[in-house]
Amino acid sequence: MSKWKIYTPEGVQDILFNECFLKRNLEDKIRNIFRTSGYLEVETPTFEFYDVFSEDSDMTPQETMFKFFDQQGRILVLRPEMTIPVARIAATKYKDITTPIRCSYIGNTFKYNELGGGKQKEFTQAGIELLGVNTPEADAEVIATAISAVKATGLENFQIDIGQVEFFKGLMEEAGISKSDIERMRVLIDRKDYLGVEELVKGQNINEELKELIFSLPRLFGSLDVIDKVEKITLNKRSIAALENLRKVLQILEDYGYSKYVSVDLGMVQSLNYYTGIIFRGFTYGAGFPILSGGRYDNLVGKFGKSIPAIGFSLGINMIMMALERQKINKEKPKIDSMVCYGIDGRKVAFKVSQELRRQGLVVEMDVMLQDLDEIKKYASGKGIGGIVFIKDEENIDLYNIDSEETSSVNLSELLK
Amino acid sequence: MRYLTIALSKGRLTDLSIELFENIGIDCSELKGSSRKLILSDEKNKIKFFLAKPSDVPTYVEYGAADIGIVGKDTLMEEGRHLYEVLNLGFAACKMAVAGPAELQGKLDELNNKRVATKYPRIARDYFEHKRKESIEVIKLNGSVELAPLVGLSEVIVDLVESGRTLKENGLVVLDTIADISARMVVNRVSMKMESERINKIIDGISSQLEKR
Repeated sequence: MSKWKIYTPEGVQDILFNECFLKRNLEDKIRNIFRTSGYLEVETPTFEFYDVFSEDSDMTPQETMFKFFDQQGRILVLRPEMTIPVARIAATKYKDITTPIRCSYIGNTFKYNELGGGKQKEFTQAGIELLGVNTPEADAEVIATAISAVKATGLENFQIDIGQVEFFKGLMEEAGISKSDIERMRVLIDRKDYLGVEELVKGQNINEELKELIFSLPRLFGSLDVIDKVEKITLNKRSIAALENLRKVLQILEDYGYSKYVSVDLGMVQSLNYYTGIIFRGFTYGAGFPILSGGRYDNLVGKFGKSIPAIGFSLGINMIMMALERQKINKEKPKIDSMVCYGIDGRKVAFKVSQELRRQGLVVEMDVMLQDLDEIKKYASGKGIGGIVFIKDEENIDLYNIDSEETSSVNLSELLK
Repeated sequence: MRYLTIALSKGRLTDLSIELFENIGIDCSELKGSSRKLILSDEKNKIKFFLAKPSDVPTYVEYGAADIGIVGKDTLMEEGRHLYEVLNLGFAACKMAVAGPAELQGKLDELNNKRVATKYPRIARDYFEHKRKESIEVIKLNGSVELAPLVGLSEVIVDLVESGRTLKENGLVVLDTIADISARMVVNRVSMKMESERINKIIDGISSQLEKR
């Protein structure tokens, strides 16, 4: 039964030297942004009870989750995302700490995704959640942190689209559209199916101005003047409040100096049950899917026993890596700076030298095959190692520069100077 | 400037799609030639074209391998991809329908075990399970679906109906219409944002072409 032993299942990947190096660097850069903004990292279990995720069938439909059983027959799932576990923690383990709670995570998640376009069944997500406050300042902080994180990865050409689901909910309330039609409308608008929206609106008994506005929803994206345009129309309180909130968030982002990265999309209407305010998504060239998405979800934490508002986002590390590669940015590669080798009399010194060089931040590899110098040179140049330190003893140390083929001799104190 | 890539459906939609693009000043002459090249381009407007099997067009567009695609609504419904469906081009119009022997007219509910033969398993399931709230057994076929109820392979079929002539000649009738079908223009969700100016220009151009008709 060892037919499959040399293969990996579809949708998971080995990440090898160069790619892994790049990925860890990216994660470090992103982690640094999160940390320095006060978002402390948590690690949640790779698998949890199915019940944790089953509440939100919109965001995590059951057919997308990897399931298995524990010894008692309870259903377990590999985590399909990270926001829900964080919400669980906030409502249980951190229910008594002072809000706002700033939380971050970087970890692998699992979904029965269809493959292609950078999508895998196992993928790494990095994100933050800001829990316990509902202010435009909080919304803007989370979006600004998202922008800083993307910038830190080296991407410059990207765009964050910001919408407000309450605006749409307000419009539907005003128009008196039935619950099932609202969902149909949401799907049509989300698909930017202009014609479908028009047809659905036609059959409803609503005033002309509102009809026109709903019909134009799929096209309502672009700069701030989208809001100016829409505000001229008479709207109900709910929609007006949503626009005001959106405008404030955009103004704050302007003070962050991030205006050039953001634009408005009032036709962004994902998952109305989950999101309760600002929502946003990030796009860039070279990735056919958004690189990040997020929004306000004030009802989620309450499902775990403590009702507090929250906003957050998560960023797809694999998507970012694909975009970086396609945009030919950031080709960092792992590099070995020096190779230390020694004759038997130099062994003790060699260990001391490598330790010191590593302490200085160099990447040092040691010869463990006790090869002769010619063999080592061959190995080093084949592997792209910068230089060789050959230690005969404390007084006789030869340095070879592989590129220039220069040789020089020093003693220990000169070398460590 | 980056190239915009357009995926066209091979087959009956090809010529009509080319005509639309030519009318808004995009050079499709390479497409009309007998070239064996798979990807053709209009260098002036920085647009690339390729022809693909219709059912593959939504995949190319969803994954961003093409920014824009022209494809039938039937394919879009069957593939269920995350795309922007921005224009109804109107041509290649027909219906997606449930059909079967005339004696089932109005009695579809009474059938206990429904076997449905179709080239569109997803559409069939979606219609029966979500709209009618009934379970079905789907039999996936690749062509001549009308044959299935005649030889007892299935009770009913779900298929495209254009004139209805094939159905009629084989003693079948339309039992219910599922959706109106025609050619659509679809856009990748990211491209719509990152290249909104150029893509909107194409959409508006074609849309005003269509209004003139």
